Amino acid sequence: MAAPLIAIEGVSRRYVTASGPVDALRDVSLSVDTGEFCTIIGPSGCGKSTLLGMLGGLVALDAGRVLIAGRPVSGPDPRTVATVFQDPGLYPWRTVVENIEFGLELQGVAHADRRRTATELLGPLGLRGFAGKYPRELSGGMRQRVAIGRALAVDTPIVLMDEPFGALDEQTRMLMGEWLLEIWRRTGKTVIFVTHSLHEALALSGRVAVMSARPGRIKSVLELPMPYPRAMESPEIVALRAKLWHEIREESARAMSDA
Amino acid sequence: MKTALARLALLATALLAWEVVARVGSPLLYVPPSAALPALRDLLLLRSYPDLPSHLALTVREIAIAYALSVVAGLAVGFALGLYRTVGRAYGPILAALYAVPSVIWYPSLMLFFGLDAASKIAFGFLLGFFPITLAVLAGIRQVNPQLVVVARAFGARPLTIFVKVLVPGMLFTLVGGMRTGLALSVIGVIVGEILGSKAGMGALINHAYGLLRTADYVALVMVTLAVIAASDVTASLVERRARRWTE
Repeated sequence: MAAPLIAIEGVSRRYVTASGPVDALRDVSLSVDTGEFCTIIGPSGCGKSTLLGMLGGLVALDAGRVLIAGRPVSGPDPRTVATVFQDPGLYPWRTVVENIEFGLELQGVAHADRRRTATELLGPLGLRGFAGKYPRELSGGMRQRVAIGRALAVDTPIVLMDEPFGALDEQTRMLMGEWLLEIWRRTGKTVIFVTHSLHEALALSGRVAVMSARPGRIKSVLELPMPYPRAMESPEIVALRAKLWHEIREESARAMSDA
Repeated sequence: MKTALARLALLATALLAWEVVARVGSPLLYVPPSAALPALRDLLLLRSYPDLPSHLALTVREIAIAYALSVVAGLAVGFALGLYRTVGRAYGPILAALYAVPSVIWYPSLMLFFGLDAASKIAFGFLLGFFPITLAVLAGIRQVNPQLVVVARAFGARPLTIFVKVLVPGMLFTLVGGMRTGLALSVIGVIVGEILGSKAGMGALINHAYGLLRTADYVALVMVTLAVIAASDVTASLVERRARRWTE
């Protein structure tokens, strides 16, 4: 069997806070294959974002290791991993295209080339005609699409998404999910998607990893072999939903009583 | 057009009122426009003070040097305090405490250190201009959304790139605002310094005219000085407006 694209092996992380040390992650292991859409779901504060930060090389590990294509992650690798954050973090002084081409600019891609790449993305992003607009002129969903465009423009094999639709209203969120699925199927990228929405997890993922309340561990991994687009009312999905909820409920309750 | 007319009307009324009050009171102390304007003409034609150009040039030069020093030192100290946490924690409070002291109390010392020539004026202009620039850098750094830095790091930006592409554009408006205030204060520092004690420069001429009770000449000199200051501030405000459009 070939080695997985992403291998998280026995990873731990402890933060020191004013009220003492906090175990954010304890002995987390997970592997993800090329082309997978893998979702990580769990209660707030379970270390989902920390885990994603480790994959992106932004957060250091205390123990264990994270391998991407067999090599340990030691810092941001912008040619392999691109990240979409919940706060899109667009540069307000840059237009839509200038934001999309930000990563390419950092990689030293020539102006004309990166402009072409960014402009070609506008159509699939649903941002045609918005090239010269500034982030303040866009809706929340459009801003997040610009951030996704910025991650797609660098054309990395791996895209990390940290609750990218968390700040959007439910309808926009569902539409964005369908749209993202379309992009993912067309590009064949490996996506790791962090969410706390059951609906999103069930509609989008090939696999869902459930994390426990703090200290975060991988509690269970569910396979979702159903084809896309998924009928969310099908008996299979409804059954999986019940199972997933059962897994998460306990942890969310624990997270609530801790808080 | 109407606004311009209304402003002109106000100006004319003010001048007229000034004329009347000055004549009724004391023309020597209140200097009516009928005395100030001829004095201004004589000044500009170099009749009353033939060496006006060299004094004006000296003042402008002092301001330019004082301001350049304020910008360089203000940016350096501001970024050092804002970007290096240890440095900021150690020296930030000292800076804030110094800023609270009325700077003019240092001026006698500056004259003792630097003498009565240009150096002490430059030093005072620098002292006044330095603080607002440093503080603007500190405020600007705090105002940049940390998420923008996280994103840049995730996309592979190194510290220098983050500085150039994220920090500076993100704080530009605040920075330019502080630099504008710094310019105004450098101008004040130099001119106050000249008035408090000097042999040359606009402040020295103002002192001279005032000391000899040549009040009309004094007013004319003040008007020329004001024109120089207003011109520098207008330039600064244009730069500021541009920066605002860019940052937002």
